[in-house]
Amino acid sequence: MTSAMLAAVGEVGEGFIQERTSDTLPCQATDKLFCFDWARENIGRYEEPTIQHLELVVISVLLGFAVAFALALLAHRRTWLRPPLLAGTGILYTIPSVAFFFLLEPFTGRSSETAIIALSVYTLQIIYRNTMVGLANVPASVKDAARGIGQTDRQILWKVELPLATPEIIAGLRIATVSTVALATLATFVNGGGLGEQIFRGGNIDFTTSIIIAGGIAILIALVFDVLLLGLQRLVTPWRRAVAA
Amino acid sequence: MAESVRYEGATKRYGKSGPPAVDELTLEVPAGEICVLVGPSGCGKTTAMRLVNRTVELTAGDVLIGGRSVREREPARLRREIGYVIQQVGLFPHRTIAENVAAVPQLLGWEKERARERTAELLELVGLDPELGERYPAQLSGGQQQRVGVARALAADPPVMLMDEPFGAIDPINRERLQNEFLRLQAEIGKTVLFVTHDIDEAIKIGDRIAVMREGGRVEQYATPAELLMAPATEFVEDFVGADRALKRLALMRVSDIDLWEAPLAHVGQATAEVRAKLAAPEVEVPYPLLVDGERRPLGWLSDRDLGEELVPGEPDAPLGPVVELDDVMRDALADLLQGESQYAAVVDGGGRIAGVLSIEIISEFLSSPGAKTDEQSAVERPHD
Repeated sequence: MTSAMLAAVGEVGEGFIQERTSDTLPCQATDKLFCFDWARENIGRYEEPTIQHLELVVISVLLGFAVAFALALLAHRRTWLRPPLLAGTGILYTIPSVAFFFLLEPFTGRSSETAIIALSVYTLQIIYRNTMVGLANVPASVKDAARGIGQTDRQILWKVELPLATPEIIAGLRIATVSTVALATLATFVNGGGLGEQIFRGGNIDFTTSIIIAGGIAILIALVFDVLLLGLQRLVTPWRRAVAA
Repeated sequence: MAESVRYEGATKRYGKSGPPAVDELTLEVPAGEICVLVGPSGCGKTTAMRLVNRTVELTAGDVLIGGRSVREREPARLRREIGYVIQQVGLFPHRTIAENVAAVPQLLGWEKERARERTAELLELVGLDPELGERYPAQLSGGQQQRVGVARALAADPPVMLMDEPFGAIDPINRERLQNEFLRLQAEIGKTVLFVTHDIDEAIKIGDRIAVMREGGRVEQYATPAELLMAPATEFVEDFVGADRALKRLALMRVSDIDLWEAPLAHVGQATAEVRAKLAAPEVEVPYPLLVDGERRPLGWLSDRDLGEELVPGEPDAPLGPVVELDDVMRDALADLLQGESQYAAVVDGGGRIAGVLSIEIISEFLSSPGAKTDEQSAVERPHD
């Protein structure tokens, strides 16, 4: 793994060092933490990785959500499925991330697909667990009443249980999204693109400006997603605001 | 619209060999009546109630609604035709009050406009401002929430209602109010109601008939409240109904149900000799004459000093004291007497005219009559002693 990783870093690194030495030598020659001149001239090179990063996050989280949500619905009515699913998603979650990328490489190659698969697998545990918690928190009396007035099991699930579990489900999505934004910086190790390219490029160990810019963009993305999801939660759970008011 | 509910050997057993939760229950609730299932916890009363809407499935026997077996019905459809009210209310927290009330009409596919009109009508019926319809359940008090629960159960005008300790979580003052409101409502809508409670006083107040149940899901006695109080069928029922059941009977009676004493009446300006003569008659039981006006409305009691005058004075010596109406519940009348520290109370009709006199002695005789006492004289509370 280590040799493959270094090879990957070296591969993308060479051209970068050349560019840097030709355009921006005056600034980097000094040993500053952040080089504004360089940042101003080179900000454009972050556009493409940022878009890639967004794609990685959105696709991975949506994929992970679809799978985890489906698993939760399966386990909701079949209680015997719960222990294996919790253990299974838990074990997947503990695999070290970079190791996971390289484990997948023989099957899906050095591609964004590899990164997306690994990233979505990491969201499973959080989203699955939060969905289960949300469903478990629906008051028994509400389910009893729903059944007693003649709702079918399916109607109870979609009209009562899932709407009431929404806050927990979205809370899970928020955690999953924020951690995926951070994890997606590792996609570059399997040539998956994203802001990681700008962070892990060869020679960056001495050149912190790029790390700070790419890292800063990643933090910004995480914050924006978090706020958007929080807004979504408020929008779809008006009854919670009404009570607070 | 109401339909009878009939249990025919209805049995519920959890597990193959477990003891029955409901054991061969057979009883009929006539259409439009309130049947209270009462008993200690674990007696199977809630299970018995739930057999009706199949939220608990029968192991054996049958339950018939309007002569039709619930076994033939598809559970979800059956439940839409049966009102369901539970102690924890179980309103949908994410739906507005109006949406909660319209839940069953929505399941039945009513047009929006019709459901909306029905919702407003129901909120008014249960004594809630229709403007509350826009709120969410958590913004309402416990009492208001339970009113919404009743409105939701009534939405599709079901012939049968199931109510599982509906007022159990409400504080005593509001519980009393909700019970009264419910009885008023029932007088209007006349549903067949199965009402579960562990509170015998509530059962006596609410029920047209009461089924007293005990552990093992057996009915010990199925009778009207008065029968239950006068003639408990078993020792268990006697214990459960309580030592104060004679007093409880008072809660079931009105002043007009009892034989009152006749008041010796006096009018202003009448010769006192005439009044004294009236008092001396052997059949007179009240030792004081009651002063009344021209409309026979009581003004006060005449004292011996008043009678010492030539003519009956306009201002009697003794104040009127407690006055009860023929329509008053006997228990309240007794309370009035005790509170007024008076032996006698003037009883008036709806127009305020004198109808007779109620005395502690009358009530005492009633309480010690055979039906009220049986074998527990010592246990009967007799505050007049």
